[in-house]
Amino acid sequence: VSKRKILPTRAALTLTPAAVNEIRLLLRDKPEYIGLKVGVRTRGCNGLTYTLEYTKEKDKSDEEVLQDGVRVFIEKKAQLTLLGTEMDFVESKLSSEFVFNNPNIKGTCGCGESFNM
Amino acid sequence: SQQSHRLHRSPYSLQAVGLQRLSSASTQEKATVSSGSDEITLHLTESCVKRLGEIMEKGEYLRIHVEGGGCSGFQYKFSVDSNKNEDDRVFEKGGVGVIVDQDSLEFVKGATVDFSQELIRSTFQVLKNPQADHGCSCGSSFSVKL
Repeated sequence: VSKRKILPTRAALTLTPAAVNEIRLLLRDKPEYIGLKVGVRTRGCNGLTYTLEYTKEKDKSDEEVLQDGVRVFIEKKAQLTLLGTEMDFVESKLSSEFVFNNPNIKGTCGCGESFNM
Repeated sequence: SQQSHRLHRSPYSLQAVGLQRLSSASTQEKATVSSGSDEITLHLTESCVKRLGEIMEKGEYLRIHVEGGGCSGFQYKFSVDSNKNEDDRVFEKGGVGVIVDQDSLEFVKGATVDFSQELIRSTFQVLKNPQADHGCSCGSSFSVKL
């Protein structure tokens, strides 16, 4: 019998209805993928940037967020960075993008893609 | 000619006056361009043309505007516009059009407009801009070559 640590109940990442909807659409005709994976990478003028990709499996160190039937996995490296972040999907005539409203960040680039903590 | 070439490349015209030029392009600079040997072009990629065809109503154009701002000094702004002004240049391809005003054109001529589609975002981008030195990785901001 292993002693399990009690995990915090607060979700590491919350999804807005728009994000849930879009992820559902993206995955609808791609049964080989189980969800999306969010990561951070050192890039951009402000230090860090988010990455997003399809994923076929849950990595051992990934944190899984299950909300409204869609699954998003957070890379180990990004878990602290993203804690408490809201993932949104914003669509306009000229562009559409996933936006991360992260309470931990100190500054962003004008384009909104790059940030520092 | 040699003279107009030097005038065009002079740091003064590009750097010091850079921001000012956005609101009031010097007539000297304009003359250089209009009498210059290089033809002003703007390349539209296939995905750009295709996307514009999908989203634009008749009479609507994609307007590219360059303004001061962003982490690298200048940034591109995209909007939908159905009005053509006197100083606008229209670049058409495959039934769609991109409008650039004269002042902004100085900063984007010869560049490529693309519609990039990635999982995290789909958006219009200016690529391979001969006027841009280096930009932000997001591609929306750039600094001008001296």
